[in-house]
Amino acid sequence: MSQSQFTFPLIHNAVAIMTPILLASIGGLFTELGGMLNIALEGLLIIGAFFSVVFASVTESIFLGVILGICATVLVALMFGAITLYLKANVFITGLATNLFASGLTIVLAFQIYGNKGIVRFPNIHRLSTLDIGNLQRIPVLGDIFLGHNMFVYISWLLVILAYIVIYKTSFGMRLRGSGLNPSTIVSLGLSPRRYQLWSILISGLTCGLGGAFLTLNLGAFIPNISSGRGWIALVAIYLGNKTPLGVLLASFVFGFAEAFSNYAQGAINVPADFILSLPYIITVITMVGFSIYRYYRGLSSNHG
Amino acid sequence: MVSGMILPEKGITMANKKSIKEHLAGAVGLLITLAAAFIIVLILVFLLSKDPLRTISYFFSGPFRNKFYFGNMINASIPLIFTGLGISLAFKSSMFNLGGEGQVYSGGLAATAVCLALPLANPFLGSIFALIAAFAAGGIIAGLSGVFKMAWDTDELITSFLISSALILIVDFIITGPMDDPTNNLLATSPIPLQYRFLKIYPPSKLDISLFFALFFAAGVYFFMNRTHWGYEMRMCGLNREFARYGGINVGKFMVIPMILSGGLHGLGGGFAILGTYDMCLKGFSGGMGWNGIAVALIAKNNPLAVIPAALFFAYLEAGAKAAMLHSDVTFEIAAIVQSVIFYLVTAQALYGLVSSKKRKAL
Repeated sequence: MSQSQFTFPLIHNAVAIMTPILLASIGGLFTELGGMLNIALEGLLIIGAFFSVVFASVTESIFLGVILGICATVLVALMFGAITLYLKANVFITGLATNLFASGLTIVLAFQIYGNKGIVRFPNIHRLSTLDIGNLQRIPVLGDIFLGHNMFVYISWLLVILAYIVIYKTSFGMRLRGSGLNPSTIVSLGLSPRRYQLWSILISGLTCGLGGAFLTLNLGAFIPNISSGRGWIALVAIYLGNKTPLGVLLASFVFGFAEAFSNYAQGAINVPADFILSLPYIITVITMVGFSIYRYYRGLSSNHG
Repeated sequence: MVSGMILPEKGITMANKKSIKEHLAGAVGLLITLAAAFIIVLILVFLLSKDPLRTISYFFSGPFRNKFYFGNMINASIPLIFTGLGISLAFKSSMFNLGGEGQVYSGGLAATAVCLALPLANPFLGSIFALIAAFAAGGIIAGLSGVFKMAWDTDELITSFLISSALILIVDFIITGPMDDPTNNLLATSPIPLQYRFLKIYPPSKLDISLFFALFFAAGVYFFMNRTHWGYEMRMCGLNREFARYGGINVGKFMVIPMILSGGLHGLGGGFAILGTYDMCLKGFSGGMGWNGIAVALIAKNNPLAVIPAALFFAYLEAGAKAAMLHSDVTFEIAAIVQSVIFYLVTAQALYGLVSSKKRKAL
């Protein structure tokens, strides 16, 4: 990491690190607009991570691995959504259930298939290829941000644009937001809010499947509970991003940068690893509290004005 | 504003007065939930085990096979009683404490630290100090989220989780760094002095006198919630915070107090586990106690007395999975899958007959 071909490796790494968070929070944005607090992002990332690397290893194809991994994740999301919406369970508790299920299922399967409950390595999975355009990468900031990433990074940006279009420019997006804001208006149109909510949960499964695939395919290994809090951070990114696609992108970058900085600090200063690992959580809490203080005082001043 | 939207109260804080019919529907729903969990166990074992009959027999009868297993199962329910009580107290007040894991862990560390700092103290006074420290540790951590909520309306559900996640890592560091005992090979602190260790009541198992404290606290929380002024005000805030505010209750105060008490109970769970069971603060000793407390509280419908059987049931599940792992070829994590099934179904209103009654709502 010391000899990087990038001018600002910190920014470059932040863009890479933020990708699974961004992917999870794009999907979470849909469920959030549908009026559901989707804490299952964490578990869905684990499912995507596990199944995509397993399928990629079995089929020897990254593409098939990703597709099948996404299918598995959407399936779990379907179970989560169906129980929540059609058995009328509390979405927060079923979200917890999904996280517990994902963690348990992947460990049980890893043990069953590979006889191992620790790190499972997949020697036939190689690092994802990146978009390298020689010296252009040296362009400060722009080169750091835009070049030298793998395809997941670019897909995640495309999805941000797609999310913007779907949420604001299509009837699906408007009806989904309506289902979240005021379900009875959707009912009065003769439509079922639950259907839009279920679709939003499936979308979150799709993006989390991609986000999870990024985690394991880049590493060539699966680690139990590999999402390690990213789903939660994605949730906070949705709030910080003011529930808009662009805001979510910026918020994800803040968290990516925080983690990139933690990694950098780990190498540069002699701080125990556990402290470094706790930094993203601490930074997230501070950002959240700071944001609510800001919102609180803005609310006060607008009331007076 | 956020958490109000997120959590339709219906699923978690049930109304107080229920008709017999609703009680019956609730019992049927619980039965369906448990039956589903039972079926999932069977399916998993038949899929995963090479000797399914042996595995199933150990899963279900393992905890009763000898005094050691049986006592340890009861013992494992003790921290779940404390965390279950902590969660139900917070849920009843419509506060969502999601940081149980870190609170139990920190409570355990605080109790250990006090015991190690007072090597020669009177066992009675010393353990009281240790437990106060455990309560304070958990209470302060959770209380912080309550204060944020009161002052700036920061969502306590997410802050309590994030603070706890950070603390777990920091406690890990303290146990394996500054407080690590170099004379043993465990990732653990030094053992606490002998005089603090609780009396075992069912040898050879680890079951100890903290069982009585757990039962005492369950009764205490029940009395507090249902027979005291504070308990009443907390329940009022839980039912409808705006209504409570209109009725002259200091709503902000009851954002902080339930969190402190909830975190404190979690911390106590960790403290009792150290004094009664572990004798030293082991890395990760409390893993799962916080999450399972949530499930226990939900099965118990936030009734402090019902927390006791619910905790026993969860301890039975884990003991069964452990016995199946030791004597057969499945891994312990199938318990997590079974628990997740319970989580999935335990708030499902369609199963509990609540949909047909007046509570029909669009979401």
